[in-house]
Amino acid sequence: MTYCLETTNIVHKYSDDVVLDGISLQVPCGSIYGFLGPNGAGKTTTLRLVLGLLRKQQGAISVFGKCFDTHRIEILRQVGSLIESPSVYEHLTATENLSLLQKVYQVPRARIGEVLEVVGLSQTGRKKAGQFSLGMKQRLGIAATLLHRPSLLILDEPTNGLDPNGIIEIRDLLIELNAREGMTIVISSHLLSEIEKLVTHAGIICKGRMMFQGTLAELKKKERQAGSVAVSTNDDARALEVLREDGVGASMVNGEIVMPAMSNERIAGINRRLIEKGLDVHKLSAMEDDLEAIFMNMVRG
Amino acid sequence: MTIDFIHALQSEWLKRKRSLGAWLVIAGAFFTPTVVIVARLVRHSRLPALYSADAFWTLLWRSSWQSMAIFFLPVAAILATSLVTQIEYRNNAWKQVHALPLSPATIFFSKFAVIILMMAQFVVLFDVGIYLSALIPYLLISGVPYPTDPLPLRLFSGQTLLYFVDCLPIAAAQYLLSLRFRNFLVPIGAGFLMWIGALSALSWKFGFVIPYTYSMLDYLKDDPAGKAVIPNVNIHLVALAYFLLFTFGGYCLFLFKGEKG
Repeated sequence: MTYCLETTNIVHKYSDDVVLDGISLQVPCGSIYGFLGPNGAGKTTTLRLVLGLLRKQQGAISVFGKCFDTHRIEILRQVGSLIESPSVYEHLTATENLSLLQKVYQVPRARIGEVLEVVGLSQTGRKKAGQFSLGMKQRLGIAATLLHRPSLLILDEPTNGLDPNGIIEIRDLLIELNAREGMTIVISSHLLSEIEKLVTHAGIICKGRMMFQGTLAELKKKERQAGSVAVSTNDDARALEVLREDGVGASMVNGEIVMPAMSNERIAGINRRLIEKGLDVHKLSAMEDDLEAIFMNMVRG
Repeated sequence: MTIDFIHALQSEWLKRKRSLGAWLVIAGAFFTPTVVIVARLVRHSRLPALYSADAFWTLLWRSSWQSMAIFFLPVAAILATSLVTQIEYRNNAWKQVHALPLSPATIFFSKFAVIILMMAQFVVLFDVGIYLSALIPYLLISGVPYPTDPLPLRLFSGQTLLYFVDCLPIAAAQYLLSLRFRNFLVPIGAGFLMWIGALSALSWKFGFVIPYTYSMLDYLKDDPAGKAVIPNVNIHLVALAYFLLFTFGGYCLFLFKGEKG
């Protein structure tokens, strides 16, 4: 498979603190790759390394099949990025902010109006960016990333500060850019629910380690495999004791006993055992985890 | 010079538009000439004799450049450099700058070129202000003659160029500090300390080793009161040497910075 962005065994330390421990990202060309992890997991550090904003300590980074170290300028010509909060010059208007980049990328001036239209900022006129709301600044940041029609878009939590409607608009815009222009998009988030409707591939990072990487379909397969069994009895505390005595990894979750996924025969055996112990079994049912639960299970270890 | 540098310079020049640094250059350049105009309009009865004097332009030039060489030029170099660099910090924009398809040298020197151009703009506007400070009282007050003394344009241009060279080490040192420290107060504070140190060292025979002294020494070299010890070296060459040294140091610092933006 051709990867648009690939990192190999990236290790990064701040003093003795290992913040990335062997990160190997593989972003297929044409995909929308969701880079997920809780706050402080190492998402931003990884993306900053990919863009050369941090000095690489160990590992390799290649973009469009070329080594970043030796083809930095050539690669950055085709990359649009928005890392953390948007870089907006507050004393300038939206058009002037994009003019700065238009001069560097040497794209036609008409492109400024096009991208402002795309992000819904075409009516801001002479208003200074300092007077924009956080959502408007975020949109301007996204407009800046699109100005030069990049082949790879790297967005670090781009929906921060946007209202629900704004989040949906940005999501639709990214899906359209991916479909219409074949743009590869890497989007980081700490909320799976926010991007699960958007991404084709996902990578999950926690405490500097990749916990999962693959297609969304593979992640959903895990959803089915990672199901659990819920039990409810007339005396759940006693039932929990019985199950633990039998070596079943049961725990109380939201007021009911939850056990790991198991075969039907094993479920029937547990049912018999609880009845033998004089307990009334009110409910014994298999439950499927949603993606969010899988994500939480992964990041909680 | 590559075409990328020209494009980056255009981009950087646009960034300073409406910025505090840009306003400072204009306000600072016209401050002394404005004071001169107001003073002359208030004491207008003395103007006919003053404008008829043989050395009218030289006297005006010397009196105007006094505040500029001692105070405004070093302070403008300190403030303008720090303010231009601060634009990136304040707007959280270094990361965007470093993610542009530009070499580190292009990024570093295009921004520095804008600072140097602003300092050039500062001294040129100041010269224009000096001329206006002579012209405006002549136009507004009846009976004031146009100076008969010919305007020594070449001499003044040459001196302006040397004053500009004198402020270059300050701009380079401040650029280095501004790139190193995110906190705006550090380069500004260090700059003011150096400026005060330079003022104090004027009467010291080795005062010229302080890179913030050259515009002061340049002005005071013709001072009959002998307020400064004028070294037996070409201070403009020393200024250029410091400028190159600080520029090289600043570039190395910029190039090898572990975290960019």
